[in-house]
Amino acid sequence: MFPVQIGTIAAKAFGADKWFLEFEMRILAVDDDPIILELLTQFVMAIGDHDLTTADSATEALVVLENPNTPEFDCFLFDVQMPAMDGISLTRSVRSMATYADTPILMLTAMADKRYVDAAFAAGATDYVTKPFDIAELTARVTMVEGLVESRRERNRKIFATQNLAEPEAHVELYEPISIYDVENVIDYMAMENYVEQLSRSALFGSTTFAFTIREALQFHQSLSSFEFYSLVSDVAEIISDTLEGHQYLMSYAGNGTFVCITESGWRPDMARLMDAVNLSLAQTELYNNKGERLQARVSAGQAVRLIWKSGASLMDAMAQAHASAEDASMAFEQSKHDFWQMGQTA
Amino acid sequence: MKRFTYELPGMSEIRTRFIDLLAERREHIASHTVAAWDAKNPADIKTNLAAAQATLHQIAGTAGSLGFGPLGDTARACEIRIIKHLEDNDTTSLTCPGDLIVELDDFVAQCRTVSHPN
Repeated sequence: MFPVQIGTIAAKAFGADKWFLEFEMRILAVDDDPIILELLTQFVMAIGDHDLTTADSATEALVVLENPNTPEFDCFLFDVQMPAMDGISLTRSVRSMATYADTPILMLTAMADKRYVDAAFAAGATDYVTKPFDIAELTARVTMVEGLVESRRERNRKIFATQNLAEPEAHVELYEPISIYDVENVIDYMAMENYVEQLSRSALFGSTTFAFTIREALQFHQSLSSFEFYSLVSDVAEIISDTLEGHQYLMSYAGNGTFVCITESGWRPDMARLMDAVNLSLAQTELYNNKGERLQARVSAGQAVRLIWKSGASLMDAMAQAHASAEDASMAFEQSKHDFWQMGQTA
Repeated sequence: MKRFTYELPGMSEIRTRFIDLLAERREHIASHTVAAWDAKNPADIKTNLAAAQATLHQIAGTAGSLGFGPLGDTARACEIRIIKHLEDNDTTSLTCPGDLIVELDDFVAQCRTVSHPN
């Protein structure tokens, strides 16, 4: 650990009250530029008693990760643009490893690389830091990662990752976001929030957010086991993802049966048609619970909310608006179904 | 803009290493720029401009963190210029415009002005 004096000076320079991070993390940094690796080494040493491993290529990183003697990493820092195998492909490879299915990945990228940033999020990145580094930004991102690692250690949320299926089932709360693996363009809710935050740093003319809610999500949650409910959410995510194929978008499961999506391509989704297409696909897909009973899952779609002229908190408000409108549509559908049976009846 | 320089221990050594490496990178950019200018076919132009762009990308990614903000900004501008040129032009008819070469030449000259603090 560095002498207190250095930390104090640096903390003052950064305007930070808390200088050292709370606990030790094992970090793997990958960048083809030796200067970046040296900067990160100094940075990591300065922010706490962490263990940093560096690699100058994705190939070297994979060798480290595939070595059975390598202790598990808590966090990754990947450069996006590297020769041979880039950081996006590396992210995909790391995500395919059960051990690292939801380990935080911070991408290191240049401001101009927005298209790479989008691809990185789609590949499974948690967030990104722009180069050249701003120390305050880097500290903020790593602090965010520290929080993720801490909660990950506490809750061991990877109960649904393949290697842990045999472990006792943990309870999934209805309102809790769930990590969904191996579905195209589906990212963690935390990553989605980070993605929306970075949208405010760029043009929003072509950006739209929209959402789908699984109808009767509460009833499904009450009647199914946690694993069955997770499987249902995962299957619906896959069907929505297939329906949106061909469009540029990212999607996340926000909890309560709701999937929020963002597109930046200028595409203006026709929500009624999309909902019909998703529901047709759901009708054609045979989903069952563990008792062999068929699950008749359908979704409702909310409004497509354009993000133009929005920034900061109002971007999150827009996402919340899309989210709420999908849930309202789902409730309205359930209500109308109920009212239909009540029609013409008197007490 | 970027405040790494005086705030982290070991920055002086990294800065020295950056300057040493810059001389090498500058020559790399210069040689690929000349090769792109001299190239007879679009594929060679593309290969050489892409090689120069990759090195510019590295300089742009660190210069600002080490107190060489203007150098980093110029590197980024040159990088973007090359990317745009490669994207906007068909691979089969790619040329190497003179103003792009002048821009890269100016950057190489700017690199030469960067020296060790002492």
